[in-house]
Parts: sequence; C-alpha cells; structure tokens
Amino acid sequence: MSAIIEDGAVPGASREAARADTVPAKRRTGWRIRIRRDRSLLIMTVPAVVLLLVFTYVPMLGVITSFQSYDIYQGFLHSPWVGIANFTNLFGDTLFWHSFANTLVISAVQLVLYFPIPIVLAVLLNSVMNGKVRSFVQSVVYLPHFFSWVLVVTIFQEMLGGAGAVNMVLRRHGLGTWNVMTDPATFKYLVTAQAVWKEAGWGIIVFLAALAAIDQALYEAAAADGANRWRRLWHITLPGMRGVIVLMLVLRLGNALTVGFEQMLVQRQAVGRDAAEVLDTFTYYYGVVNNHFSYGAAAGLFKGVLSLVLVLAANKLAHAFGEDGLFRK
Amino acid sequence: MPPEASPSVPLAVSRRGLLSAAAVAVGAAVASPLLSACGSKGSGGPGTTGKNELQRALPSYLPNHSVTADVPSVTGANGAISDPCFLKYPASPVTTVSGAVGSGGSYTTMTPLWGAIPPSAGNKYYDAVNKAIGATLKLQPSDGNTYGNILPPVFAADKLPDWIMIPGWLNVQLNLGEAMGTKFADLTPYLAGDKVKQYPNLANVPAAAWAAGVWNGKLYGIPTYPSAAVFNGAYFYRKDLLDKLGVSTAELKSADDLFNLGKELTHASSGVWAFDDLFGQSAAYASQLFQFTNHWTADSAGKLIYKYETDQIVEALNWQVKIVKAGYMHPDAVANTNQNGKQRFWSGKVYFEVDGTGAWNGSDAQSGTAANPGYNRQALPLMAADGKSTPTIELGNGAAMFSYLNKKLSDAQIKECLAIANYFAAPYGSAEWLKVNFGDEGVDYTMVDGNPVLTSAGNKEVATTYQFLACPPAATTVSNGFTQVAKDYATWQGQAVARAVKPLFYDMNIAEPSQYSSINKPVDDTIDDVRFGRKPISAFTDAVATWRKQGGDALRTFYDGIRDKYGTGQ
Repeated sequence: MSAIIEDGAVPGASREAARADTVPAKRRTGWRIRIRRDRSLLIMTVPAVVLLLVFTYVPMLGVITSFQSYDIYQGFLHSPWVGIANFTNLFGDTLFWHSFANTLVISAVQLVLYFPIPIVLAVLLNSVMNGKVRSFVQSVVYLPHFFSWVLVVTIFQEMLGGAGAVNMVLRRHGLGTWNVMTDPATFKYLVTAQAVWKEAGWGIIVFLAALAAIDQALYEAAAADGANRWRRLWHITLPGMRGVIVLMLVLRLGNALTVGFEQMLVQRQAVGRDAAEVLDTFTYYYGVVNNHFSYGAAAGLFKGVLSLVLVLAANKLAHAFGEDGLFRK
Repeated sequence: MPPEASPSVPLAVSRRGLLSAAAVAVGAAVASPLLSACGSKGSGGPGTTGKNELQRALPSYLPNHSVTADVPSVTGANGAISDPCFLKYPASPVTTVSGAVGSGGSYTTMTPLWGAIPPSAGNKYYDAVNKAIGATLKLQPSDGNTYGNILPPVFAADKLPDWIMIPGWLNVQLNLGEAMGTKFADLTPYLAGDKVKQYPNLANVPAAAWAAGVWNGKLYGIPTYPSAAVFNGAYFYRKDLLDKLGVSTAELKSADDLFNLGKELTHASSGVWAFDDLFGQSAAYASQLFQFTNHWTADSAGKLIYKYETDQIVEALNWQVKIVKAGYMHPDAVANTNQNGKQRFWSGKVYFEVDGTGAWNGSDAQSGTAANPGYNRQALPLMAADGKSTPTIELGNGAAMFSYLNKKLSDAQIKECLAIANYFAAPYGSAEWLKVNFGDEGVDYTMVDGNPVLTSAGNKEVATTYQFLACPPAATTVSNGFTQVAKDYATWQGQAVARAVKPLFYDMNIAEPSQYSSINKPVDDTIDDVRFGRKPISAFTDAVATWRKQGGDALRTFYDGIRDKYGTGQ
C-alpha cells in the first residue's frame, strides 16, 4: 500500500514527461550543459537521494549475511561464510514455500478486488460538483489511512468478531453466527476488505490528481457533440487516467510480494499459520525472532530479487502497451 | 505496574516469556563438547557447571531476618519455599546500608518494562534513587514485549550498556553463553563464597537464585526477583460472580468437572462465556493441570522425552478443543487475543482464565474493582486433570531474570556497581527498599494505613526499573491497599509449594545448539491450530514427527549428554 502513498508526486512527473514530448527528442546535449541546465532541479533531489542511499542502499549491504552463518556476537566481519547453504535450506523448507504461495494468493485477491476500487471512487468523487460535500467525503475516506493496523484489526474484531457487534445481534435474534475473524478459509478476503477500508480512500489521491489534469475543454466539446455521460467517461476520463492507472499497476506488481506485514502479524494468531503466514512474517519469525538472521536475510533477498524481476516485467508490459510505466524508454 | 506489585512481576513476565520463547524454561547456553560444530567462541566451555564447581562459584547465603513476616514462609517439597507475606510496612524501617554507596560514577543501563515508559527528564523518582546511591544510573527501559527482538541488534552493533538485564527465557534465543566472559564481566572474584559478605544484602539472596547466573563455573548474573516459589501460573476464577450464581468450586476435581461447568456458565447471547484461554501458549498452563513438564522429562524407562511427546499433551489438546467446539470459550479467546484476556476477566465476560501467578495482586484488584466493585479473583487449588492423581506443580529456577555488568568496566567500577546492587537488594522492611521502590515520601508516595501508596505523580514516574538490576528475595506485599489479596495469594502459594517438583535440569544453564532454536515454532503453531479446532489432532502428531527429524532427536542426544555429565539438577 505504501507504493500508493509514495506516488503522490507521480502525476506531476507524467505532466513533466508530457511537456518533454513537445521538445524535439534526442537532441544530443553534453552532460556538462545538461547539468548546468538542470542544476537547481538536481540540487533539489539531493536530499532525497541521500536519504535513499543512507536508509535504503547502505542497509542493503546487510544481504551479505545471507551468505554467512551470522552470529550477533561476532558481527559481519567474523561470522563464518557458508556460501549458498541458507538458500538450499530455504528452498527445501515447505513452510517457506507455503508462505510464498500464501503471499501470491493474497496478492492476487487484492489485485482483483482492491486495485479497481480507488479508481472507481476517484471517478465518482470527481463527479461530485458541490465542493463542500466533496471535501467532506474525501476527509472521511482518507481518515482510516491514519489508523494503525492494530486499531483497524481491533475495530474489525469488535464489529465482526465472535463476540462483536454483528454476531451479538445475530445471537440475540437466535440466528446463526459466523466468526469471520477466525475463519482461515476466508482470511484472504478479510484482509482485502480491511485493506479497502483502510487504504482505498487514501489511494484515490493520485487518481484525483490525474483527473484534475484532464483538459475540461474536452468534456465541453464532447458534450457539445452530444456525447452522454458514459461516452465521456469512456472516451475522455478513462483514457486520461490510463497512464497513471498503468503506472500504479506496475508498482503494485512490483510490490506483489509485500502484502502487509503488520496486518498479518496482528492476525496470524487468530487464523493460524496456514492462512496468514506470508513471506514477511516468515522472515520475521524464522529470521529475527529466533535469531537466525542469515536465514531471514536469505528469504528477504529472494523476495527482493523476485520483486525486481516482477517490476521490470510489468514495466516492459506497460511499454508494450504504449505507456510510460516507471520510466520512458 | 506499581512497584509494590514487584514480587509478582517476574511471574507475569515469565508468562510472556513462555508466550514467545517457546517454553525453553531451562537457562541458556554455551557450546558443549557435543556441539562444538555450532561455533561458539564464547567463554569456551559447556555452559553447564558441575555441582562441585558450582559450589566454588556461588556466594555464601547469609539470610537477613530483621523483619518478621505476617504470614511466614511455608517450606514445601523439593526446596520450594513460599514467599513471606507482609501486611504492614514497619513504622520505623531499618537501615541496611551505611555510608556512601556509589562514588559518583555514571552508568548506562537497559531493562525491560512491561507497562508505560515513564519520562526520564525531570523524573523525581529517578533523581531520588540516584541521589541515594550516590551515582547516576541512566535508565533506558524498553518495551518488555519486544525486548527479545531488540537485543540481537544491540549485541550485533556492540552497543551494550554498562549494566543490562536479560530475562532467562531469552538465553537460548540469544545464544547468551557466548556473551559470558566476552561481553559480560566475571563476578566470581567479587562475590564467590564469603566475598559476598561485603555486600550483605546480596548475601541475603539464596544460592538457588545465583545458580542460574553461573556459566562454565563462573558467576556472571545478578539474580532479580529471586524466589523459591516460581510457578508458571494458576487457574483463576471470579469468585464474586460464581458466588452470585451459587456455584461452588469445591466440587471441581478434574478437567472434566471444569468442562461440565462450561454449559452452566456460558450465556453467549448475553455476551458471557465460561472460559477464557485455559491452555496457554505451548501448553504453558495446561501442563500443570495435565501433569506434564514444560520441557524435557524422563519416561518410565528413563528415556528423555520432550513435552510434545507426552500422552498428556494430547489429552490436554483434546480437552481444550472440546471446550472450543462446545462454544464455552469466549470467541475473542478463540481468536487468541490473549492480550485482552484481563479485560474480559475484569469485566466479567468470562468466569475462568489462566494467567501467571503475577496476575494476582493489588493492581489487578484495582482494575477489577473499577469494572466491578465486588471483584474477587481466586485461584483454584492445584488439581490433576484425571481427578485422581496427586497434583504437582513445576518449580521454576531460583530466579527467572539476571542482570549483567559490561566486561569493559574497570575493577573499581564493578565494585561501585555491586555496592549499588547491594543497595537495590535491601530487603522489604528497610528504608532502602522504600527508596528504591517508591522514591521520596510526600513526592512519589504517601503512607496509607501503614503501607506505601503511589501519589498521582508517583503513578507517572515510578516504574519497575532499578529492581531489574538487582533486588531482594521476593515478598508478598500489600499493593493499593488490598490486604486480602496479599493474604489470599500467600495462602495459595503456601499450599502450592507442598506440591512442587523440580523439572529435569532445574536451575542449570544449558547451551542448546542454536541451529535448533526455531524447531519448536512450527509445532507451537500447529498446537494453536489444533486447540482452536482449525486442524485435527493428527496434524499435531505429524508436526511432532517432523520436529524429531528437524532436531528434536538431536536435542535428545544432546540432553542425554548433559544428563550423563552434569546430572539433572535435582
């Protein structure tokens, strides 16, 4: 979900790209000149680059532990090297593959059931003309984003749990109850529902920005030509959003193996390992908690490499459909 | 948690420890000859210590009986002795430490805290204690629930403070034996035998508590909350509510009796269930009722078997799942949200629960009566599931948690820290005890009916901090004015000690090969699946078969080696 937040800046970037289209492409400019030309822009990116280096790239060096038998008392320098032993163990571990399969299933369910919702919400909200109503609805749907997962799960437990509000009403009327919070079979839909409740509102921001970038004159012209609401949606709104939708999809696929660590951690005990163990919780329990850092690092590295492959593949796909994706070719 | 509840703290803590540490109750580890393969480069010996060698490392025991208990200790079976119970603080507390304590040194510390972290800046309680000890201890309490997860990075980064507390249940996870002598200072030259006489309050700590702080024949750990009556927990019930219904627990003799009560007490449509969790993580509590040890035990032929391999754990699982399937357990307990278990108990949504013995104190009574004025927590007398055998209860190590001094400290600094530890270990009834647990009178506490009670400032500033570095033998004291609670607890403990049994490898630090540290996790996960009815019992037997292959059998061989060489700590 974090990808969605980070990309608040993306519509601006795509506009930037659109503007670049009007400039004759591929004019060979020396790098000195380009640096001088973009000097102020480059300086502005420095803090972000430094943060990225310090907090993302430097810690990445920790992946070397996945080739060691890392010992907290001996550190990186003195821990023995074990080659790919951690990976051979990992790939022979049925619990690992189980968590991998869980991750993919939950990710697929979220892609189908979660991904379209912010888009639909954004289009709906965009059609609300009254500014006050619009900002009120926006505030309401944004709010759950700021709740922690612990709180969200508690709210769900209080509402839908075995002793929650809904089941208590059913019970008082002598009807059957369903404790959805402890049902492993439907857990993947439960977590998706929670994600929708918490994040869908926040997810609409980027799509609203894309909508705002659509030229209003297009609508007026189409209306003048007799296009009804649906035709305008189909021929103007959706094509106008397509670039952003594809970009979000690419990012989502790149993040397909991250399906919400805290959310799973909080609920794993309620539904059991079989339903709720995903790659991130596997790394946590078998890597961090039991002090097998090397094993956890191996699982993490595997996930990282796979995510990179996924994001590149999705990007290629985007290019194949004539979209920008993450970057222009 | 107010400090007057302190005797019970380690027990509450040990419950949580069991929750996370997969019930590895025996202390920790250095590679023994058997597992030199796992590459320990620590103090280089087998963490375990033979009996003769142990005697050389242990400090002498010179008990202090200056204050007479209102409910004296009961000497039970197998060395178990209940904690003395005091109902009123002595009007003129004795002074046990004379002269300057510290010499103005400044030390960083790290301790876990199960509760809200108090402010460090302007904390008058911290200032009062630091002034009294004539040194500055910089306290850094960390969330106790995640303490085990932050320690590995602290070790890895070599950012150890001068004085640190590490609960014994983390020893295996941290492979702590490696830290002895390499990261932590050897205290044998300062404390062994009669040397401890320089620190009379530390000499008041019994040998059984020191024993689990000895590694490879050397003393490293300072015990906190030493007690000869450390038990996992008890089956608790709401006596006030049962009395109202006219239900007596006197007829409860077996696990089946308890189950049968479920139907009578459960009224789901009113939001009331008979039971909260009755099992505990990895059978931490059910093991008492069903009479199996939480770790290794010997079968009738003398073969070592782990708790997973006992018939009793299968019986316990069947019993628990029967309760869940019958709908007698609160749905939130079935969702395994035991962090809210106390709220359910306080608010009367359940009648029975299991908890650490530390749950039974004045703070609990305060929270309970806030929800329900008649609130009365009582523990069931020990019983055996079959209703026929004589029930027993497993005795925990003489201390569950130890503090360690950094090896980088100089000789003079170690002596200063031990003098401070001596101050912290001042027994109940002394002026020092009041200072360490409550700060200054009139600021952080006032005397009410002869017992110290925290002021509102004290409630914010005072927390269990210094006590985790060193403290006197546990005592049952009146907290928040609930005298009857202290009496009831003392009575229960006095009866329980008579049934105490020492598990195998009692009070011994044993180095388990670290590569097996995670093999319990899949079994414990399966236990949860089975006990909440998500999987059949066969899933458990399968998981245990896998466990044997993944290292269970290797661990058995390992423990056989320990038993042959060092005995079983009986």
